Amino acid sequence: MTDKIPVEVGIVHEGERIRGPDMFLELGGPKVKYKAELVQVRKADEIEDGKVIVIGKDIPEFSEGDRSSFGILVDIYGGKVEKELEGVIERRVHDFLNYIQGFMHLNQRYDIWCRVSKDAKEKGLTFKHIGTAIMNLFKTAFPFIEKSQITFMTDEAKVKEHHDMAIKIYEERDKRVRGMKDEDVDVFYACTLCQSFAPNHVCVISPQRVSLCGSISWIDARAAANVDPDGPNFAVDKGELLDEKTGEYSGVNEAIKKATNGANDRFFMYSMFGYPHTSCGCFEAIAFFIPEVEGIGIVDRNYNEAAVNGLKFSAMATQTGGGEQAEGFLGFGVEWMHSAKFFNAEGGWSRIVWLPSHIKERVKEAVPEDIYDKIATEKEVTNLDELKKFLQEKGHPVVERWGAKGDDLKDKVMSYIQEKDGEIYPDEASKDLGITEDELMKIIEKLQEDGALE
Amino acid sequence: MKGTVIAVTGKGGVGKTMLSALLIGILGDSQPGKSILAIDADPDSNLAESLGVEFQKTVGDIREDMLREKPSPGVEKKKYLDAKVFEITVETDNFDLLVMGRPEGQGCYCAINHMLRDIVDNITKSYDYIVIDAEAGLEHLSRRTTENVDSLLVISDASKKGLDTAKRIKDLTRELNIKFNNLYLILNRVTPENKDVLEDEAGKLGIEVIGSIPDDPEVSDLDLRGRPITGISQESKAYKEAENIARKLIKNG
Ligand SMILES: Nc1ncnc2c1ncn2[C@@H]1O[C@H](COP(=O)(O)OP(=O)(O)O)[C@@H](O)[C@H]1O
Ligand SMILES: [Mg+2]
Repeated sequence: MTDKIPVEVGIVHEGERIRGPDMFLELGGPKVKYKAELVQVRKADEIEDGKVIVIGKDIPEFSEGDRSSFGILVDIYGGKVEKELEGVIERRVHDFLNYIQGFMHLNQRYDIWCRVSKDAKEKGLTFKHIGTAIMNLFKTAFPFIEKSQITFMTDEAKVKEHHDMAIKIYEERDKRVRGMKDEDVDVFYACTLCQSFAPNHVCVISPQRVSLCGSISWIDARAAANVDPDGPNFAVDKGELLDEKTGEYSGVNEAIKKATNGANDRFFMYSMFGYPHTSCGCFEAIAFFIPEVEGIGIVDRNYNEAAVNGLKFSAMATQTGGGEQAEGFLGFGVEWMHSAKFFNAEGGWSRIVWLPSHIKERVKEAVPEDIYDKIATEKEVTNLDELKKFLQEKGHPVVERWGAKGDDLKDKVMSYIQEKDGEIYPDEASKDLGITEDELMKIIEKLQEDGALE
Repeated sequence: MKGTVIAVTGKGGVGKTMLSALLIGILGDSQPGKSILAIDADPDSNLAESLGVEFQKTVGDIREDMLREKPSPGVEKKKYLDAKVFEITVETDNFDLLVMGRPEGQGCYCAINHMLRDIVDNITKSYDYIVIDAEAGLEHLSRRTTENVDSLLVISDASKKGLDTAKRIKDLTRELNIKFNNLYLILNRVTPENKDVLEDEAGKLGIEVIGSIPDDPEVSDLDLRGRPITGISQESKAYKEAENIARKLIKNG
């Protein structure tokens, strides 16, 4: 056996599909139960650099049209390689295997699906060739990899063992992704895919804030931006954190100003007041402020009845969407409800007062236990009067705001006016104070009645 | 590598699916070793049936599934969707078939659609010939992002509505900015009685006519018996004219 790979290796072969009639062998795929690929960081003495191990049959030993279980294990070592990098490096297995002419790789993790072409088999392609080629590609792409070793498995029992072990590792990784915080990264991503509908809209996607449509997580956006940095998903340097509570970042502000041609220049990532994130038309759910109870209601796209405020999703969607900043309304992706930054500025789950029961069930895990039963659904409450009663009976945290709020706000407005030497602009002031202009005017009227203001 | 893209369009019922299926069969027979992708982009269509194959799922179904059940957070959706599309591609010895299915519904699909569009565009790069059975609204064509259509075939039968639609399609390509190299008109169900008037009226549209398919009892017969059109005899009038059309497309494409 010669060591030189008998087929071409290069990016030109990347999108190549191997169709049924051209296929010699199928590895993994939907018709095979066990398949998995995994990258693991090892200690220096645990692996032998450049070694390719094959457990089970190698390519030439199969017959035309065969289908097999398939496992790939890439072990790497490097003084600077951290465990956290495993996922990032693993993503490249797909790319690199596809560089090999006559070898197709689809999907990821426990869903991998590979094919070897008749042509490649004829030329004598083996796993040893493939392994050596992709280890070289890895070392070129990640120079900090000092040693690598690769194992291909086609023996079913061995693949099953590998698969079961890999599943546990994927679960841990998912947990880590879910636990990833906006503080942990320097880069967020923008998405301008919806600008054809809402020209001034841009989604800012962070680890703790999924796109409004729910389809693009920070991971997806990063993948897209890596492939096409000037495309609709591009990196946004988050810059300086200007306000922890509302989630205002200097870099985000700059990026949206550019992406909206100046239509918007400030975004609060975690708030529905002040300068809320705009909404396209494709959000999975809408949050709406209910001034009567000082709380936030939520309705999603699949709920066809009127929400507790008497409005249907479709009616509110018209008010919310289109790329305008609409205070008191916010479109968002349901996954955001799992985020610790979910309405961080307003008080998070302790401000949520109503949502459809199927959503409440779906995000059950995300709702703090002590608040879960205090949030109403269409099953308990259908209008605002009932809602008020329900919240009072259950002792929902928003109830505390009802009485205290008046005096509290009066003080706040008073000191604000003094701070500004009596010169205030209602739109700016309401934003600074985190209340609507209407509310502000009412408070000023009250202050005038009290004689505190002229 | 870039394959030859042939799209067939026209008013409902004028014979788009029949011609698409005939062309797929003819390309397969006359170009051995070349790969062919059939795309059914007409939601009201039955290209699979006309080709005599069965399919499980459409691209539209994948989109719906995706909105209901989200994959794990650490999974890249595009890779996942890519494999799903490959999975629903029907593979036969002579051609592959991809059924687009329902157009987008009321959910939010911007992102998912964008990914799917990219994926379908990318898949077409792996084939020598791509034949698209498209509806008159050209929805699918307008959403293609990269690849040009080589030959856009507009079919009309001997009806005013058929010809009007052909004219509208010509205008629509401009409105939707659909890029194609050639635009051709094909007359279908031509009889000795309607031939002269039809050719006369068609001439007024200003689209080059490259085929005139006779009304063929063998086509009607297969249709009535629910048999795939690909089973038509090579001596039939419709097959012979479709062969002529295919020859022109291969030369031009
Ligand atoms: N040349 C022809 N001769 C006889 N019947 C035809 C011919 N062309 C089409 N038909 C019949 O017309 C009907 C509509 O054709 P079809 O290809 O399904 O149209 P479309 O796809 O444009 O809706 C079918 O029943 C088909 O068998
Ligand atoms: Mg049809």
